[in-house]
Amino acid sequence: MLSIKNLHACVEGKQILNGINLEIKAGEVHAIMGPNGSGKSTLSQVLAGNEAFDVTAGEVFLNGDNLLDLATEERAREGVFLAFQYPVEIPGVSNLQFLRTAVNAMRKHHSKEDMNAAEFMKLAKEVSKQVDLDPAFLKRGVNEGFSGGEKKRNEIMQALLLQPKLAILDETDSGLDIDALKVVSDGVNALRAPDRCIIMITHYQRLLDHIVPDYVHVLADGKIIKSGSAELALELEAKGYGWLGIKDEAVANQ
Amino acid sequence: MKTAPMLSSAFLQPAGQALPTTLLALRFDRASSLADLLLPTRRTENWKYSAKHLKLTDEMASSLPSDASVEAADISGYTVVLVNGVVRPEVSNYPSIEGLSIQRFSELDVDDAALAADLIGKSISDQPAKSGSVNLSQLNGARFEDGLLIQLKPNTVLDQPLFVIHHTTASHSGSAYPRILVAVGRNSQLTVVEDYVSSGDCSVMVNTTTEFNLDDGANVTSIRLNTEGQAVQHMGTTGVRQQRSSRFESHSVGFGGTLRRHDLHVRLEGEGAECKLNGVVVTQGTQHYDNHTTIEHVAANCNSEETYRNIAADKSHAIFNGRIHIHQDAQKSNANMSNKNLLLTNGAEIDTKPELEIYADDVKCAHGATIGRLDDESIFYLVSRGLSRRDAKVLLTMAFINELVDQIPVEQVRESANIGLNQFFDQAFQEV
Repeated sequence: MLSIKNLHACVEGKQILNGINLEIKAGEVHAIMGPNGSGKSTLSQVLAGNEAFDVTAGEVFLNGDNLLDLATEERAREGVFLAFQYPVEIPGVSNLQFLRTAVNAMRKHHSKEDMNAAEFMKLAKEVSKQVDLDPAFLKRGVNEGFSGGEKKRNEIMQALLLQPKLAILDETDSGLDIDALKVVSDGVNALRAPDRCIIMITHYQRLLDHIVPDYVHVLADGKIIKSGSAELALELEAKGYGWLGIKDEAVANQ
Repeated sequence: MKTAPMLSSAFLQPAGQALPTTLLALRFDRASSLADLLLPTRRTENWKYSAKHLKLTDEMASSLPSDASVEAADISGYTVVLVNGVVRPEVSNYPSIEGLSIQRFSELDVDDAALAADLIGKSISDQPAKSGSVNLSQLNGARFEDGLLIQLKPNTVLDQPLFVIHHTTASHSGSAYPRILVAVGRNSQLTVVEDYVSSGDCSVMVNTTTEFNLDDGANVTSIRLNTEGQAVQHMGTTGVRQQRSSRFESHSVGFGGTLRRHDLHVRLEGEGAECKLNGVVVTQGTQHYDNHTTIEHVAANCNSEETYRNIAADKSHAIFNGRIHIHQDAQKSNANMSNKNLLLTNGAEIDTKPELEIYADDVKCAHGATIGRLDDESIFYLVSRGLSRRDAKVLLTMAFINELVDQIPVEQVRESANIGLNQFFDQAFQEV
């Protein structure tokens, strides 16, 4: 379903991704782990189409379409969804207005009629309950004054509303307490579907206790250096990254 | 060194003689006092950014026809229509409420004419400029051909907003000088919507002055919408005097043009008076908009709250000059001024200048000004959810002013403002 071939990318002249190869079949969940600075977030930004990043080589196909030929908004309409590591606060734009505009942009692309305000409100309320967000949040500014956990739940709520084909979750577990982690994980598990693939970027094994991935990949210096089953994550948790012959986190940070 | 041009004497020859003698005399005096004065230049601090857009040719001095035919305004409610500064009762819809009188200058009796002359005489917006160059809002006093005197007796409440439509016809060059005087009695309430519109595309000037006098406990909301055509040079002045415990609220929404200038001057003269001034300006193309506000805290224990937002696109230019003057006896004054600005392109310019002059020692006075652009991260976030780039920019730009538009207490005005804003967005965000 998703096929990434020899992907190279840089930001501000600095090469970050050095030839990523990854195949994900429909219905699969892949976890990507790796030390800070290994390129995990860059991969997610490049897939979503952030123009601050330049793709210098490679191809990315989603159901046969070359994503790299599509503008950010076209990728979103074709089903790419990125749950941001740091969701942006946009005071003055209500969450509801934003979400309805997004859903209707998606529907228009698929030649469906706009959802009216009442229909949408009903849907949004249902979905917000699924991630345990008070529907009052819908009326507030986008992420405005939300706690870290509320922002992450808002991201998952958007994924549930937009029903993407490819969901990329960039450290959706960071900054969550145990209860919030459970809620977010339930939301992600609800996203699992036979016609959808999910990439989870995380530092921690604890997320993978709740959402068991089909595969785990280790990213280092912009390349996948090891792939395995869910057990690989446990091994990383126990041993760190050193045994794979890469610098550990503290060193890689410098 | 090149000397500044003088105000052409052609501007000091008023038309329209159908006025009470006191007002004719006042107009004559004012015209005499303006003779031989210089026009402002870019060295005139108050006109630094706008002087170059002033085009006061002799052609512009001529009067515009007061009998031009206009369509009745599409507004349900109380309306007074002025065409080129002259009141047109036949297309107006006056309220008939006990305690409220709306009269045109030409029909004032001796007492009311004396009141009008007194209000104009003590006008705060209408004083000679210190710089020796002509204060262009004084020109209104030399040229008004008609005007409105609105009086509310004590304890009178106008149940709906009063729309004052200023229609300027630009079928040939010339100028119009509308004058509105509002005297609001003790504990009376009134909402006035001033809507400035134009037809035709010749070069014209609208030189307009509106004055509010609020007696103790009066409550006035003034809404000002400016959607005149590109070629209109708009020079607007609003003066407000507030007595004890009165409340004045102003909402202005301005769209740019070849020259737009609005001077808003509020004097808090009685203890416990408060004012709230909101303003939104959007400019595009080569448009220009210059807002000058002055809030004078004269008496003690008064509050003022001012929030202005400018958005400039293309190669346009928006200016905010906000002055707060706290007099020596105005202890316990509380003044807040905020001006935020959004530049949509590299070619646009915004200048902002907060000025504080404080002579009392026990006051709270805060001010803040920022200039920024749309945030790339926010655009990416919205676009990554499938919104078009245009929609993302529109949402973010609206977000910048939503709070102020939402506060406008008259739905019809909010709708008109949103229609204008949507047209602005269509032009400003053309790509995609």
